[in-house]
Amino acid sequence: MRENFRKELKDLKRDVLDIGRSIVDVTRLSVKALVDGDVDLAEQVIAGDDDLDQRCLAIEEHSLEVIATQFPVARDLRLLHSLGYISMHFERMGDLGVNIAKAARRTASRRGPQTLYDLIQAQGNLVHRVLEAMLEALEKNDLELARKLQDLDEPIDHLFKQFFRELARLQEEEDIEWASSMVLASRYLERIADHAVDIGDRITYMVTGQFEAPAEEEEA
Amino acid sequence: MSHTLAEHQPGFVPTADPSVKIAVKGLDFYYGDFQALTDITCDIKDNSVTAFIGPSGCGKSTFLRCFNRMNDLIIGTKVEGLITLDGQDIYAPGVDPVDLRRRIGMIFQQPNPFPMSIYDNVAYGPRLHGMKKKAELDEVVETSLKRANLWKEVKDILGRGGLTLSGGQQQRLCIARVLAVQPDVLLMDEPCSAIDPTSVQKIEDLMAELKSSVTIIIVTHNMQQAARVSDETAFFLQEVMGEPAMLVEFGRTADIFTSPKDKRTEDYITGRFG
Repeated sequence: MRENFRKELKDLKRDVLDIGRSIVDVTRLSVKALVDGDVDLAEQVIAGDDDLDQRCLAIEEHSLEVIATQFPVARDLRLLHSLGYISMHFERMGDLGVNIAKAARRTASRRGPQTLYDLIQAQGNLVHRVLEAMLEALEKNDLELARKLQDLDEPIDHLFKQFFRELARLQEEEDIEWASSMVLASRYLERIADHAVDIGDRITYMVTGQFEAPAEEEEA
Repeated sequence: MSHTLAEHQPGFVPTADPSVKIAVKGLDFYYGDFQALTDITCDIKDNSVTAFIGPSGCGKSTFLRCFNRMNDLIIGTKVEGLITLDGQDIYAPGVDPVDLRRRIGMIFQQPNPFPMSIYDNVAYGPRLHGMKKKAELDEVVETSLKRANLWKEVKDILGRGGLTLSGGQQQRLCIARVLAVQPDVLLMDEPCSAIDPTSVQKIEDLMAELKSSVTIIIVTHNMQQAARVSDETAFFLQEVMGEPAMLVEFGRTADIFTSPKDKRTEDYITGRFG
């Protein structure tokens, strides 16, 4: 029944998952650029953002078209609405990745204490784990995994706070611009993971049809 | 509420919820030996639009016709269980089906004006119920045509034959004819299947206006229409050929069309079968 419609839904979801994989790449590469002080890599991430924005916009447009022409209801409607919503999150996550790349560009000319690079790398690894879990939950409609994202996000918030504490120990001669760029990068990583947790809530709604009360957000 | 009189009559069945206009409990329906509907229980709320949806042959029109005892006219049919209108068992001995059909009017798929003038079509019911004075009839005709959103189009041609109107106008004339006898409930059996989209829009708007004074139940094959016009939706299904149909899910239309609880409802409304 409604073969073309089904295929369109499938294609849309595949495209959203593809964008999600690009987000994983953007995040990973921007953190690498920051930690390695690699300006070329940072530029590469920044240059890719327009394309990412276009792909996100195309998802939103396409899902609106399908809603307007196919009158989807129930799980189909929830899927389409959620894909549009998730692509908006992806667009913002991509922007945050670009912000990290820009921080990499700003900080590349000098080398700070290794502890802070290690912390950022650890945070990046944890964010990577959350993003992978989020994509798997989306691909497989895995409720259990979607609900687990909140727990996976927690250590990331802790690392951000630890990053702050480490900064406080810096000697006065440290470059203030360098330090603020690093702390912002850590904050952007933490925000990317928050978006992934929001997407997890959306996956839960997509599958169950119920909005679950969002967990209390801790002030950073 | 018009409970006052009914409460003292035999067959009165109190309902817990005063917002319930029609209550159905454990209804079975038979065409001869064939059981068409089984164990249907639901409450139709006052001043609301309730849509019945489901694949062809799922018994939704049969169920609709139980409410004004139209099925009585088919030989060999049998109803078991209970249907109450304002708490009164409509199948109780002593209930006059003709009076019941005044209180529960019906609109069919094909507009069926009588072969007489627009005016006489609308005045037909009130005259039948004894209204004779021209001034009174004039007023009922005007009010009913206004309520059916047809007055502006026909006020200068009331003497013209009802059948000269367009299909959509004819359907609204039929609605005016039903409204003229001031029913409590309006049953609509695919009222928009045979008319043009502009007229469909007018009838859908009309339903939204009328529900403040009339409880409406509509059978429709058009799921978008059910989603647009109704407050509550009932999904019927005959799962196995030859077996009776049942009420699978009944709930708020917004819930049914975003998060249905039953997988069969979900599969039907998303076009996975039917």
